[in-house]
Formats: sequence, structure tokens, C-alpha cells
Amino acid sequence: MNEQTEMMMENIRQFAESNISSISLKIEREGIPDDLYAKIIQQGLIGATLPPELGGAGLDRNSYDAILFQLARISPSVAFHVFMNNSLILRSLEKAGRMDIISEIISGKERYGIAPGPLMEGGEDGEGSLIIEPGSRNIVIGRNGGKVTVLTGMPRLLDKKPLGLRGLKTDIAILEDNGEQILSREDMEAIWEDGSWHSAAIFLGLAEGALEKAIEYTKVRKTFNFSLKDYEPVAFRMSELKSELEIFKNTLFSDVEDSLTGMMLKTLSAEFSRRATKYALQFHGGYGYLEDFGVEKFYRDAVSLNSIMFRPITDKRVLAAKIYGEKSGFL
Amino acid sequence: MDFDLPEELDEYRKKVREFAIREFRPELAEKSDRDESYPDEIRKKTLKEGLVDFSNPWKTMIAIEEMCRVDPGLGISATVPYFGAEVLMLHGSDYLREKYLSRVAGGNAIMGLGVTEPGGGSDVAGLKTNARKEGNKYIVNGSKMFITNGTIADFFVMLVRTSPPDDPKKRHHGLSVLVVERNFKGFDSNHLTGKLGVRATNTAELILNNVEVPEENLVGEEGKGFYYIMEFFNISRVFVAAQSIGIAQGALDRASAYLISEESKGHFVGEERKFKLAEIATRVEASRLLMYKAASYLFNYRPNPMITSMAKGYASETASFAAETAMEITGSHGLKTDLERLFRDSKIMEIWEGTSEVEKIVISRMMMKGDKNE
Ligand SMILES: Cc1cc2nc3c(=O)[nH]c(=O)nc-3n(C[C@H](O)[C@H](O)[C@H](O)COP(=O)(O)OP(=O)(O)OC[C@H]3O[C@@H](n4cnc5c(N)ncnc54)[C@H](O)[C@@H]3O)c2cc1C
Repeated sequence: MNEQTEMMMENIRQFAESNISSISLKIEREGIPDDLYAKIIQQGLIGATLPPELGGAGLDRNSYDAILFQLARISPSVAFHVFMNNSLILRSLEKAGRMDIISEIISGKERYGIAPGPLMEGGEDGEGSLIIEPGSRNIVIGRNGGKVTVLTGMPRLLDKKPLGLRGLKTDIAILEDNGEQILSREDMEAIWEDGSWHSAAIFLGLAEGALEKAIEYTKVRKTFNFSLKDYEPVAFRMSELKSELEIFKNTLFSDVEDSLTGMMLKTLSAEFSRRATKYALQFHGGYGYLEDFGVEKFYRDAVSLNSIMFRPITDKRVLAAKIYGEKSGFL
Repeated sequence: MDFDLPEELDEYRKKVREFAIREFRPELAEKSDRDESYPDEIRKKTLKEGLVDFSNPWKTMIAIEEMCRVDPGLGISATVPYFGAEVLMLHGSDYLREKYLSRVAGGNAIMGLGVTEPGGGSDVAGLKTNARKEGNKYIVNGSKMFITNGTIADFFVMLVRTSPPDDPKKRHHGLSVLVVERNFKGFDSNHLTGKLGVRATNTAELILNNVEVPEENLVGEEGKGFYYIMEFFNISRVFVAAQSIGIAQGALDRASAYLISEESKGHFVGEERKFKLAEIATRVEASRLLMYKAASYLFNYRPNPMITSMAKGYASETASFAAETAMEITGSHGLKTDLERLFRDSKIMEIWEGTSEVEKIVISRMMMKGDKNE
């Protein structure tokens, strides 16, 4: 990890510890509070990767991934909020040349939600669209002839408590047909693919958050007069998971930039996040099943984000095509 | 060897399934989950239709599976008001069975089982709740954790320590089972909310502060409590296997319906997802056969704790595997349907009634003792 990334890791770790840790349960129950949204803007986290001439911080990949990783360690919802704004919404608007909207977003004047629709596997748009963080305006992918659309106004929501990302008030929305088209579907696919490294940062950050909790818990919890960590199945599983995580982090924070490695890391870390968070919950026993202990949210978020950010068929097909050098894995 | 259910049981299975599809309305399942409220109407309807019959464990097992297949929260709520009843059936005096069990069976009371404590659930013999004999009563002090029906049950079958172990290596000695009523002075309960799943079920912490329990509420003999509870787990673990298989089958139903519908809309469904479906289906079948084997030993009065632990352990891991894989197969569609609730419900299977690790401890201990499943 280079010095700049290390500094960013430390800064955001402190930011998350002092502004998010103590309210992480409240975020799950009530959503991200307005003052935290304001602090995220103040810290320059929205617009982190935009070039300075557009009002952004122009951060490199490593620094941006350090932000997502550290936020996901404490609250995957907050990490996804930052990812969604930077890697999906602002990138789309930048590509579409909509500087007017960009400045509204990075100044915190306007908040956007996203309905990724048919880009996701099992997703469709229109009625029953999964909408993430409904905002005063929404970016909808794949409506009106497969284009990326900006819709204005709050959509009608079904008020269904989502599996994951509860801090973002993710819901099912009825999307009315009144948007303005800004991009083609192909452009959005490319933007989505560019997000691989950053998705991996979130998967790995939330896995680290869960494993840290489990390692602490298994040190202090005793059964049959021994600490849980004294039992081979507990200690060995935790150590294996932690080893995998460290190896993945070495790649995440290396100076490699290419999209193939990003895609590989995303593929492996998506599955890893589910496995790591599930063990973390399991080793908490009954306490792991209660939200107060803050570990079940990582499991929910891991599975939920697997459905939102990772497409087990589409993404694997892209990976297979890169590995074989030709179209593969389509039967 | 015949792998088909006897006709009578198969008819019963169909009847329960029809009931669950009819009565477990999506709005009720969603509301009970969202508000963490116990759906008492389901308990009453199940009783009225005679669908829970604890004198017939085969029927009970099948009812649990079929109900959990439609909705685990409601399915467990319908069958859990009797939780712990077998301890009273097998060891309770006529007085206790008459006074407590008959009320539960008649639908006039709900019961619960209090074993786990804040300090531990896997290590049953390490419990701290203490019952001191004073005259013709026990004075009980301590607390119990994660107790199902904790704020709605009228009484609890509770494991407590009545004397210190005669040898520190034999901590399972000196434990006894008492029936503790909610309205005994000094009893309090605290509703635990914010569960990941099975939110229709009621879970609580019980606080016991100098609770006076009449001596006639001792179940069986003093000092034999640990054995009664282990014997009970040997029964209840078969029922948890049934809950788990219900969930796994429910996940399979939903995932296959989704893929069939995708194909019918002309969307391509490749081998990867079909193979995953095949894997879930295979594990469901294997779990069910193992459960039937454990049940046939148990219900024919030849309990085999090793097979029971295999059945519970494997079925619960299958539930979790099936629900997670179904989420993967259905992608964002699954997030919008009741599959996500089924997924949240599934994880408890690997925790309650003996965690997956505890089941492996039981199995490996018996293997190391030379038990060969013969
Ligand atoms: C919703 C819910 C309802 C419940 N209902 C009831 C009820 O009605 N009545 C009741 O009495 N209890 C009930 N329980 C409690 C449940 O049975 C316990 O949570 C369970 O037995 C595990 O105990 P624990 O939570 O104390 O975990 P612990 O025993 O502390 O175990 C923590 C972790 O360590 C692992 N572990 C422990 N020892 C070892 C070892 N030697 N080797 C390897 N791994 C080990 C466990 O497998 C687990 O993963 C309920 C729990 C929940 C969550």
C-alpha cells in the first residue's frame, strides 16, 4: 500500500469511527441521518473521483477504494451511498455532460437515487423496480429504449423493508414514465464494469468488519470453560478467512489497475463476503441473530450486495471471455 | 425398502399444505415479520383444524415441514406453542400433565422451554440459574436467554441447578427440571426484538428473582434434569430438521418457479443456474431421507442421537445453503419477493437446538466411542 493510500485509510477509519460507529445501528433502523449526509459532502466523499475541474477531488483508484473499504467496515450502507453517487450516478452524468446536475449533487443540494433495473440479473424496470436510496430525482437504467434516464420527483414506494442496505431506505418503486434520456445502455454497461475494483472494496470492507467482530467475540466468549478461540474449528476457520482477506487486500491496494484483475477480484470477493459474514454470525451463536450485536447486518448486506453489485452469470461471462480470449460460457 | 410415505401420512401432508397455502396469507406473513408480532390466529386455526397432533410425531414432523415450506415464521409459530411438551409427557407427574399439558393441548395455554442462559447455550451443564429448596418450595434465581414464547407463554419447562455437581468434571449432575409459571412472583420477561429472521416468533429474556416454585412442579426426579433435556433435544432436533427441510424445499420451489418462468418468457437460462437448482434439490432429498431415518429410530422407541444430530446438522446447513443459493439464482428478483424473508429465517436453523458445531461434537464423540451406526 502506498503512502497516500495509507493516509487515506487512516483518515477515513477515523472519520468512520467518530461519525458512524456509534450510530451504525441507528442507521440500520432509521436510515442515514441528514447530518451524516452533510458530513460526507463536507469531507468531499461525493465527487471523490471526479476531476478537479468539475469540482471533484480527482482521487486515484487506491484512495477511492480505501474510502469504500473503511466505510463498509462500519456501515456497508454508507459505503454503498458513496459508491453509488461516485461510480454510478456522477459517472453517468459526467459521460452525458450534465454538469448542471453534477454541481447540485456534489454540493449536497440535491440527492439522487438509482434504479439499476435490467442491468441487474433478475431485474426489470418500471413497476416493481428495486430502487436504492430514493432521492428527489432518480437515475433509472434501461427505460425508454434501453437508455439511462433521469426521472424527477419521488417515485411511489411499496414500503417494503429491504434485506440489505437498510440505511439507504432501499425499496420497491413504481416508476412513472416521465424521464429524460441521457445515455445508452452500452455506456452504462461500461460504467458498471468499471466499478469492479470498487465493488470489491465494499465486499472486502464489510467482510473485514464482520471478521473483526467475530475475532473479538471469540476471544471473550467461553463455552465449556474455554474461550471459543481455543477450539480448532473456530480458530482455524477464522484464521483461514482472515488469511484470504489479507491476500485479497494485497491485490485491492496494489498498483495494478487493469479491468481484468478488477473483475477477478470482484468475482472472488463477492463470494468471500458471503462466506466470511456467515461464519462471523455463526460464531456469535444466538447473539449473532440479533441486530444489537451488529454482525447480522454484514451477512444481510453481503447477500443483498451480491444480488445488486455482482451478476453471477453476466459478470462471470465477461470474465470467461477475457480468460479464454473469446466468447465462452454461454450454454 | 419403501421410500414412499404411507398413504395416510401423504394425505395428511396434502391437507397441511392446502391449509398453509390458504391461511398463511402473504400480508399476514409480511406483517408478522415487519412488526415482530406473534400471529396467535394461526395457532388457533391450526388447533381448530386438528393439524397439530403431538401424540403422533410422524404427523407433527410432516406438518412442520409443510408449514415452513410456505412460510417459516408462521409455520414455526403454529407449532411452537407446545415447545417442551415432550419433557412433561415423558417425565411429568399425572398432576403436572393434567394441570399444564392438557391446557396447552386444548389451546388454552402456551408453553416454552428455558435452557439457554446469557452466559451460554451450547454448554448446557454450565448453566447458573439456581433453585434452592426451602420447605415445600424451590426458590429460583437467575436468568434465561433467547426463550421462544418468552413473553407470551403461560409457563416454562426450565432447567435449573438444584445442587452443586458432586465432581467438577460432572457438571451435568445436580440439574433438575421445574415448571415455572409466568404469574409466579419474581418472574419477569423482556421481549428481544431486532432478530434477523423468524420474526413472527416471540423471543425473550426471562428474569427469575426469588421465584417461589411449589415442589410438586419438579419434573421427574431431582438431579436428572440434564438427561431429560438431552432426551428432549433428541426429539426436538428431528423437528428442527423438519423446519429446515421445509425452508430448503420452499427455497427450491421459489427458485425453480422463477427459472421456469424466465424460460417461458423466452429468457435464456443456462446450465450454471440449472445445476445449482439440481444441487439444492439433491441436498433436500438427502436431508429428508436422513430425517426419516432419524425419525424412524426415534418414533419406534430406539433413539439414535448420532443419526439425529446428523439429520439436524445436515438439514440446517441445507436450509441455509438452499436459501442463499436461491437468492443467487434469482438475483434482484429474489430481493423483491418473500424469498428474502425465507433467507433470513433460514440462518437460525444452524443455531437453535444445538448449533452445527454442537451437532458435530455429538456425532464425532459417538464415532470416537466406536458407535458405527449399526
Ligand atoms: C431466535 C432464538 C430462539 C431460541 N429459542 C430458545 C428456547 O426457546 N429455549 C432455549 O433454551 N434456547 C433457545 N435459543 C437459544 C439457542 O438454543 C442458543 O442460541 C444456541 O444453543 C447456542 O448457544 P449460544 O447462543 O449461547 O452460543 P454459544 O454456545 O456461546 O456458541 C457460540 C458459537 O461457538 C460455537 N461453539 C461453542 N462451543 C464450541 C466447541 N466446543 N467447538 C466448536 N465450536 C463451539 C457454537 O457452535 C457457536 O457457533 C434460541 C435462540 C435464538 C436465537
